[in-house]
Amino acid sequence: MSLIDRFGEQLDRGRAETTATATATTTSPAQAQAQAQASAPATPAPLVVVEDIAKVFDVSAPWLNRVLEGKPRSLLRAVDGVSFEIPQGQTLALVGESGCGKSTVARMLVGLYPTSRGRVLYKGTDISQLSTGSGRAMRSQLQMIFQDPYASLNPRWKVLDIIAEPIRVHRLIQGQAAITERVEALLGQVGLAAADAQKYPHQFSGGQRQRLSIARALASQPQFLVCDEPTSALDVSVQAQVLNLMREIQQRESLTYLFISHNLAVVHHVSDHVGVMYLGRIVELAPKRTLFAMPRHPYTRMLLDAIPDMQMTGKSRTPVAGEVPNPLNPPPGCTFHPRCPHANDRCKSERPVLMRLADGAQVACHAIEEGRA
Amino acid sequence: MTTGVTSASSKGLTTDIAPLLEVRNLVVEFPTRRGTLRALDDVSFTIAPGEVLGVVGESGAGKSLTGASIIGLLEPPGRIAGGQILLNGQRIDHLDAHRMRRIRGKEIGAIFQDPLTSLNPLYTVGRQLTETIQTHLDLSASQARTRAIELLASTGIPAPQARIDHYPHQFSGGMRQRVVIALALAAQPKLIVADEPTTALDVSIQAQIIALLKTLCREQGTAVMLVTHDMGVIAETADRVAVMYAGRVAEIGPVAEVIHRPRHPYTVGLMGSIPAVGANKERLAQIDGAMPRLGAIPAGCAFNPRCPMAFDECRSQRPNLMQAGASMAACWLHEDNLSQEPSA
Repeated sequence: MSLIDRFGEQLDRGRAETTATATATTTSPAQAQAQAQASAPATPAPLVVVEDIAKVFDVSAPWLNRVLEGKPRSLLRAVDGVSFEIPQGQTLALVGESGCGKSTVARMLVGLYPTSRGRVLYKGTDISQLSTGSGRAMRSQLQMIFQDPYASLNPRWKVLDIIAEPIRVHRLIQGQAAITERVEALLGQVGLAAADAQKYPHQFSGGQRQRLSIARALASQPQFLVCDEPTSALDVSVQAQVLNLMREIQQRESLTYLFISHNLAVVHHVSDHVGVMYLGRIVELAPKRTLFAMPRHPYTRMLLDAIPDMQMTGKSRTPVAGEVPNPLNPPPGCTFHPRCPHANDRCKSERPVLMRLADGAQVACHAIEEGRA
Repeated sequence: MTTGVTSASSKGLTTDIAPLLEVRNLVVEFPTRRGTLRALDDVSFTIAPGEVLGVVGESGAGKSLTGASIIGLLEPPGRIAGGQILLNGQRIDHLDAHRMRRIRGKEIGAIFQDPLTSLNPLYTVGRQLTETIQTHLDLSASQARTRAIELLASTGIPAPQARIDHYPHQFSGGMRQRVVIALALAAQPKLIVADEPTTALDVSIQAQIIALLKTLCREQGTAVMLVTHDMGVIAETADRVAVMYAGRVAEIGPVAEVIHRPRHPYTVGLMGSIPAVGANKERLAQIDGAMPRLGAIPAGCAFNPRCPMAFDECRSQRPNLMQAGASMAACWLHEDNLSQEPSA
């Protein structure tokens, strides 16, 4: 990246933040806090609280092209005002189609992307703006499992070094013998043999590699794991092994998970709460049972209808018209209105905010609010 | 697709109607420095006219290779080392490249996983469609263009008159896959080999594409070999399903039978491991271990090291497909119809 670009990016970031706050009409931090207090008695204290986070990417043409060709600056609001909280020991799943911003949320939570706006509170401390150095101690408690086990393990390192890396970075254990012992114990925890520590990643199958990723994530004894599509690159029978393993570990270590997936059946299996994302926003956030038994938002209903049903062989699912709009140029008002069967003029102009219903579900939809759907 | 075919195919392996496609004891080998790897071993099945045969299995089970062998696009050094492929009773597995080209597109259409790589980025979709149409059908340029617009319209692409002059990159993923389907159907083939047609798409788009494929094939009476790893897609689309494991067909039968009464322990495990909305299971059923590599397929039944029901015969002798209820399963449990039901 050239110096000019980098300078431009800094400028853009500042500008993006101002535009973002100016246009924000979704849940404000104050509202989020009120909601947090409202739900506090029912569930254990939240380990992670996310308040109105946003991420704006500058995808403009280079500065020279903008000047010469008169191209406008273009900002991509990948995540635009997302708030949620995850109680200790529970799993929040975020679902949505590609490009809805779910992976960006995951990356902001572990600090791989700085937030453009909003706060991420871990045990009450804002970790969204921590620098690399001061955030290090905190980050040993937050770990991430990535989607592609073929890309997330260094092919030139032995398993021993891959899993020991977080231990060494955070200086958790001193001495090579002690580290080796710990790595072997971790391998045992994820169902691999101690001797596997001397192998390279290519000697393992996809499912075994994802076990290695889990072992690496567990190495720094985290309390919070962000899992970004951990099984979508795996075959179903291997997926079952990995999902079972993740559940065992969660129960044993009382871990808290943020689970990102596009597969509603997997989400149904692993989660306690589910957030449905569409074009950078949460459109519905509800306890799992409520969401699957009584989906409110038209988009959630559409997603549930689109699941192929194994039981009703021969019967076709309801295909939904339309596609996800271009996030660079999202429709005004509710971004789902071009595909929504209940859309009216209000939906085309006014952006709905998340509102809490009697059974604890939160929905951002005018039609639900007005009782039209 | 017709119900008559489904009931006629109760034996699972064969249908009473003369099959459109017949694959007999197909063997595909890859010669390597460390010896010959047998990627497909004695694969046999038929597809009746208008029927949708689903082929499922995990990565490396040989399902895509089967499709590639049928359309004559086996990548060297892979080669058909045995068996026959018959289309309308004519062998097509030993045709030269020139003659195969005339069959591919005209008799057998193909849809691949990634719609971006199956279209040429340098030509408009209209040019690619008219080229295909004129190669296989005797039409003038303007007739071909009219036909191309009709095809795009039939696949549900809005404003086909304008879209026909667009390039592939101007289409979204779902729309691109519609163009690919239009291309596959351009010469009205009798069979379409669809290799993971929806894997690269989002769930909501996936439902649209599957519905489209079903409708178009029913209208034209096209048979489909649908290769996928997604059991859900099979459940709602296929008439019969073949489950592949380590280069062999483990089980083949009517789709409802295979899903609700799986006969091969591998199919039982596979069905149990699929998470379902509505089921409240603490744990998913899991098959321990992984599918063996091609170079290390165990003696006897390839599934025996992972099979909870394995006995001595399984470790020494390879089972062939045998009758198991309304399906056929390659499993010694069904020898002489012992009717021992493998339990999940």
